[in-house]
Amino acid sequence: MALVPRRRTDPLWMLAPTALLLAVFFFYPLLHAVHTSLHRWDLLTEPRFVGTANYRSLWESGDLLHWTTTTVLFSLVVVTGATGLGLGLALLLNRPGRLVGFVRSAVFSAYVVSWVSVALLWLWVLDADAGALNGLLGFFGFEAVPWLGSPRLALLAVAGVTLWKIAGYGMVLFLAGLQDVPPALLEAAALDGAGRLARFWHITWPLLRPTTLFVVTTSLIASFQVFDVVRVMTQGGPVHATTVFVYAIYEQVFVNLRVGRASAAIVVFFVLLAALTALQLWAWTRRDPSARAPRGSHP
Amino acid sequence: MRSDGLALRAPRRAFLGAAATLGAAAALGSAASLGAAGCHPRRAPRGRREASLWFTYGGRNRQVLEELVGRFNAEQDRYWIHPIYQGDYYEGLAKLRTALAAQVAPALSHVVGEVIPYLAEAEVLEPLAGYPGASELDVLPALGQAETWQDGAGRPLVCLPFNRSTPIAYLNGALFDEAKLQPPTTWEELVSHARDLTVRSARGRVTRHGFGCPIDWWFWVALVGQAGGELMEGTRVTLGGDAGAEALALWQRMVRQDRSMKPPPGRDYNAWEQTNQDFLAGRTAMIWTSTAFLRYLEDNAPFPVRAAPLPAHRRAAVPTGGTHWIIPRSAPPAAKDAAWAFLKFMHEPAQVIAWATRTGYLPVTARAVEQLEGSGFYRRHPNDRVALDQLASVRPWPWAPELFRIQREIVQPSLENAVLGGQPAADVLTRARARATRELG
Amino acid sequence: MKRAPLARDGAPLGPVWLRLGWGALLVGVGLLWLLPYLWMVVTSLKTLPEIVRAPTAPLPSGLSFEAYAAALEAMPFAHYLWNTTLMALLIAALQIAVALPAAYCLAKLQFRFRTAAFLLVVATLAVPAQVRFVPVFALLAEVGLVNTMSALVLPFGVSAFGTFLLRQALLAVPDALIEAARLDGASEIAIVYRLLPPLLLPALTAFFLFSFTYHWNDYFWPLVMTTDDQVRTLPLGIALLREQGTGVRWHIVMAGNVLLSLPALAVFALAQRHLLRAVTTKAR
Repeated sequence: MALVPRRRTDPLWMLAPTALLLAVFFFYPLLHAVHTSLHRWDLLTEPRFVGTANYRSLWESGDLLHWTTTTVLFSLVVVTGATGLGLGLALLLNRPGRLVGFVRSAVFSAYVVSWVSVALLWLWVLDADAGALNGLLGFFGFEAVPWLGSPRLALLAVAGVTLWKIAGYGMVLFLAGLQDVPPALLEAAALDGAGRLARFWHITWPLLRPTTLFVVTTSLIASFQVFDVVRVMTQGGPVHATTVFVYAIYEQVFVNLRVGRASAAIVVFFVLLAALTALQLWAWTRRDPSARAPRGSHP
Repeated sequence: MRSDGLALRAPRRAFLGAAATLGAAAALGSAASLGAAGCHPRRAPRGRREASLWFTYGGRNRQVLEELVGRFNAEQDRYWIHPIYQGDYYEGLAKLRTALAAQVAPALSHVVGEVIPYLAEAEVLEPLAGYPGASELDVLPALGQAETWQDGAGRPLVCLPFNRSTPIAYLNGALFDEAKLQPPTTWEELVSHARDLTVRSARGRVTRHGFGCPIDWWFWVALVGQAGGELMEGTRVTLGGDAGAEALALWQRMVRQDRSMKPPPGRDYNAWEQTNQDFLAGRTAMIWTSTAFLRYLEDNAPFPVRAAPLPAHRRAAVPTGGTHWIIPRSAPPAAKDAAWAFLKFMHEPAQVIAWATRTGYLPVTARAVEQLEGSGFYRRHPNDRVALDQLASVRPWPWAPELFRIQREIVQPSLENAVLGGQPAADVLTRARARATRELG
Repeated sequence: MKRAPLARDGAPLGPVWLRLGWGALLVGVGLLWLLPYLWMVVTSLKTLPEIVRAPTAPLPSGLSFEAYAAALEAMPFAHYLWNTTLMALLIAALQIAVALPAAYCLAKLQFRFRTAAFLLVVATLAVPAQVRFVPVFALLAEVGLVNTMSALVLPFGVSAFGTFLLRQALLAVPDALIEAARLDGASEIAIVYRLLPPLLLPALTAFFLFSFTYHWNDYFWPLVMTTDDQVRTLPLGIALLREQGTGVRWHIVMAGNVLLSLPALAVFALAQRHLLRAVTTKAR
């Protein structure tokens, strides 16, 4: 599989652009963030060294806890929703037919447009006074709901919009996974008298586990990185109810001009993300063993 | 093949593709044709000194500003101003600050008063006193740097007033006439009028609130002033002391106990927007908001709109609001010249009057006020007079570089939490005070 | 005898009530994902008085394009469109140009630090834009590149996903081909940029489309890296349409939204297969 390089320096120049860009735009920023997190800086004046004050402030003010719980809550809804919805949609739409194909495309198309498109659209639909959803509720005699105005509902509403957008992704992955299930196995089980549910539970579901794992970890990471929809729809409100981590960092930098504090939040956030990414990589390699780095033998 | 079943059948795909492409082509086509007509051309005519103006208005105010800029560009041939829209106050401010940090700031912009001390102390603002004609500008002291901040006159001039406002009360004329009520002049009257004008359904749900006001720092500061408090004593952050708690408690009482006040949901401009819409739709009988919305509310209300000054408590007090023109120091000299020429233009009576009468913001120069009075404008538009008269009870802001942080990070969230959550006002403010002193020391 | 309808897994679909239920669900799902778009278009065809008076009326009273005219007038649309498309093209092109030699090297050449290099590239998946933006902004500010196309393009020059994808595809290319090219006298550069791309066309197309769409739609990075409208991208411009304070004019916002969504939907309609391949290949 491996060829000998023509010249010993070949790998060097081939990897040089990658290495340079990575060094400048990935690894240096990490170090810089750690460095800045130990200072107080507002971008306009000179930074001032303050040691671990930023970290302490994040903790003592309750901000870190609040941002983490908001993000985790949001994640929980999005991950279970995306996985469940993705699987449900895949099961529902895993059949031939033009209409079904059209519906599949419709669901997936939400994944393809920008977050701004989706956020603006739902901002309008969920508008408390003039929105279509409340209009529909009113038509059936229900009271208007302040979807984005109530601190309790806002996070749910934003999670719902996120689900609407990314359900297609899970659906596509589960569809691919479902098609990997050998039909012969299912036919044999049917001939043996197993009902739909039994066939699903004993044959399909175990075979879908790697896909499920993948969808879970991918949507977990995606949900931690959510920003656009919060910025466009609620700006972190009402009363910080939708201030997820990334939005909090943005706010610290661009609204409060507390770059040191933001850097401390970035460091914490990075640690969380690194753990999640390791999780995703583990799931990734379990999905397809040949994707593993060539280290040892495959199971 | 894996993705077989997922692809659309060819005819439908082609249809969608054609439709999408047609749509995109139509968009581009109309863009090309309208681009020349509607938007401002990016290139200034030859030989002119250019400056970018970053502004943060939408809607009608934006139209007026762009017209005035167009007028300036057309009436002389030395300078050219590019207006660039940057979102709302907060978004625009964020962009300006990062641009300042990255040395790509424009030559002209306008910012809220709370931020001026901070920018001035960070030395990013161009001192304006030395520019030709600066001392001849007849800015109203209450609206200019001199009285907007404590000891504003004693500091180098770094800003000029642009869209200046005070909070005023707007009353639904029809409802007030029906209830035979006069505008409230004290806190007690405010509370009782709000109660009287609140309407509940049979099940007890409020269908019309008597009073509405964004839970915003600005209005809280007004209340604190009316209760006799000061935000700071020298360099010590007091947040009004007892008066601060009293102000907050008033809101809490009206929202939670009397249920006569509707706290609009949302943050920043969402809340202000909602207040206006509630008023226009008749869902709130009386609101407090900026004089800036006067024209908009008058034009869009299906009932007579009456403006009134805010009530007094221990004294009459209102803060000023709105923005001031600033010229960032880092801009090239030619651009700064263009910016200054535009500022002088904007301070001529014709422009001040155009801006003030078409929006509802206050006229900022003495000659403009004279002309307006002379032409009988205020007789025809008594509502516009309210904010002008209220200038007599304006209280200056403390010149504190940390003020905007105190506002955004500490007080604003505390206010929202306290009104929606219900913790005792005194505790909330004690905690806020402690946090302000600790974090910003 | 009429053959009973079968599902994909070969089993019969079941009794009528079940099929009716399935059908109802199908329609429901279709509506849930299509109605919002339709509502967006309907709103964009209304006039301001209509929006104020009857915002939830299901149909516009007439076909009015004034919202589109207003949206196009409120911003230099063509300029933003150009910026966005150029940026997305440059990013995708740069990513491919950088990833090709790296993937070739990691897939085909034997050298000491191959494993380490590969892990390092993959590790960058843990450092998303939201973690990097502050230091990168500070860095670019110092060299005066903030608010330029470089600030939008360069930080995305390396795509770990792209490198990974191309490496996977390269593993399937027989070594013999490359050896033969070497014997013919082709330089390594020629091999990387002339010989391999045609062989990797499916993977390259999938990746190009995925990256182009992703960056075209990007909101966060242009938001933090631009300060005025010189290199402002379309998502930012459209988001600015929700001008607050004096009544959001929803028909104009929706018109802008339609204009923003069309290009992505066009790409989707025309190149669905490739996009899906990119998405599902990620799982391999």
